[in-house]
Amino acid sequence: MRIAITAAAVTCAAGRSLVPPDRCWARPDADAQVLGIYGVARAEAADDARFPDDRKGALAASALAGLVPSAPGERDGRSGRAGRRAGGQDSGQDSGHDSARVGIFLGTGLSSLTPDELQADLYPHIERELGVGSARFDRDAMSRDLASDRPSPRRHQPERVTEVLGAQIGASVRETSFSACAAAAQSILQAARAVHRGDVDVAYAGGHDSMLHPIGYLSFVVLGALSPTVGRPFDRHRDGFMIGEGAAILRLQREQDLSRDDRVLAWIVGGGTSVDAYNVTHPHPEGLGAGLAMRRALRDAQLDPGDIDYVNAHGTGTPVGDRAECLAVHQVLGDVPVSSFKGAVGHTIAAAGAVELALCLGIFGSGLLPGTPGLEEIDPELPARVLRAPIPGRARHILSNSFGFGGQNCALILAAP
Amino acid sequence: MFTSPISDYSGPMSPRPVRIVAVSLFCPAGIGVMGLGTAVPGPVPGFDPIAFGVARKHIKTMTRAVQLGVAAVAAALVDAPDWQRVAPERRGLFVGASPQSGDAEDLASALAAAEGDPGKFARDGVPLIPPLWLVKGLSNNVLGYASAQHDFRGDNGNWCDGALGGANALAQAVHAVAERRVDLAVAGGADSLVGAESLIGGPCGEGAAFVVLMAGERGDPLATAGLPSDAGIEAGFGEMGAAAVPVAWARAWLARDPVDVGGVSGRRWS
Repeated sequence: MRIAITAAAVTCAAGRSLVPPDRCWARPDADAQVLGIYGVARAEAADDARFPDDRKGALAASALAGLVPSAPGERDGRSGRAGRRAGGQDSGQDSGHDSARVGIFLGTGLSSLTPDELQADLYPHIERELGVGSARFDRDAMSRDLASDRPSPRRHQPERVTEVLGAQIGASVRETSFSACAAAAQSILQAARAVHRGDVDVAYAGGHDSMLHPIGYLSFVVLGALSPTVGRPFDRHRDGFMIGEGAAILRLQREQDLSRDDRVLAWIVGGGTSVDAYNVTHPHPEGLGAGLAMRRALRDAQLDPGDIDYVNAHGTGTPVGDRAECLAVHQVLGDVPVSSFKGAVGHTIAAAGAVELALCLGIFGSGLLPGTPGLEEIDPELPARVLRAPIPGRARHILSNSFGFGGQNCALILAAP
Repeated sequence: MFTSPISDYSGPMSPRPVRIVAVSLFCPAGIGVMGLGTAVPGPVPGFDPIAFGVARKHIKTMTRAVQLGVAAVAAALVDAPDWQRVAPERRGLFVGASPQSGDAEDLASALAAAEGDPGKFARDGVPLIPPLWLVKGLSNNVLGYASAQHDFRGDNGNWCDGALGGANALAQAVHAVAERRVDLAVAGGADSLVGAESLIGGPCGEGAAFVVLMAGERGDPLATAGLPSDAGIEAGFGEMGAAAVPVAWARAWLARDPVDVGGVSGRRWS
């Protein structure tokens, strides 16, 4: 498989950009914030008249607007949404392709129930009962932060986002994947396969998610997954993840379909999925499923382990998850440099695979392999070669991991343009 | 609805034929019932997930739709010949599902304890919320639980596309077997829209159906399974959401009819 990424747009805490922003991985002081007791990585405000109650959808629309402008009157009238494609051309409708040959593949997150009667009162009281140190909890800051959001609808219809945005680009094939935090990566892989098979000529693929609302928070708090400080992947004192939100969409095409004007940002050369078949909330302790996905990606790309120059880890910052991933990376790929973006952009949940893959595009040609924002002291018991700070290095192949609740895993391999 | 046949596949290896070797069907007319109409809104009568090997300890973290789906996967595998001989890494699971929500029920005791006082909610209510409250709301729970129950570790996917979800799952499963990513694929969908909230919108139903796919033999025709492109599924099975197309497939298979429901096409079964 050799599928070209010819455009990419990201909306996340590191900013909204048509080209992969490098500051989230080159600068450890990116825009991640700590509000209240939990870290928050909030994306730039994303409003869209088509998704008045659905921030997930608005984030996806924001990302897609970076690639394809809406039809006149279709949007909310805000200026500056349509921009230039990452490839440097004026963006426009996908007029160069038969709409029957265009597909949209999006990964999305779960719908949380948000009873209106609880919204105003619930959140400020959560921390007290959980005993996580109310003295550190900035209730006012969190209230301000959350007050601007509309809650997710009770019966969120993820397929509606795909349908609406698919109509915007004239897509006749559409797929909405839900595999928790592996959703966006799986969508990208399914899209790449569809392009490779010839089901479509052009695929817009990625993911979108936001759990930055009171009930979303409560979900993770009750589960004990959030860090009460800030996301510190691979740190000796890591204690959970920092929740984020975002969206990213990539444009995929076959090599033989590229025009002279198309600029290739990277190639998707392989991917693999697996299931842990172990536990819906805990990864296999030895990273069995994660390793299987990476091996499949290598085989799909017809590469050897030594061909991978850098691993963009799922790296959420949970004690169990980071350890399992490091074991798997070490076992499959050996002493390859590994880092995580989540200390900067937060865990964007179902969007993570797309957001982080898009951010990886900036690595090619940069001469740097990124570090891990938030990481202070590397856990010496992790067997992988974790990068705390960026190091000089040239990446020809990058492997990006995404793992989700339910045990679903996905690894994607990018090759330099 | 399916846009391109597998015979158009342009990958490095030619695709192989795909056979349906087993099927399960849970619908409002009953479990595995043949010859009965299924356009009956309402729940599947007599459904007991325990009878299909679903662990009692897991049921409380499963919505009704997930229970139906996990049970239907198990039921399909009962009739699949020698499926355990396929290595776990070569077993794939492909599911169409809807967003799940068990939240209201799980918050009920916490809300009752609060007695309308937010402070009491925090003090007395939050500890009553099940830690796996979030997990119960995952749309991919059929995949998560069924893969663990049957040791499926291979290629997989879960689609939340309304009525298209089950169709996407079936199409991707056919591709996975045809393109040799797995040797065994279980594919289908499950949904339950019989709650009070769903019924506000009119008569609703529930159901689940899964097929077991394996590689065909030389000489078998190639299946037709491009990617679904249209949600215009008028199968007459009530509002079964993600289960609609798999239920239609399964029903036609049980009746040994050629399957041509809502554009899902296939003409030969082993």
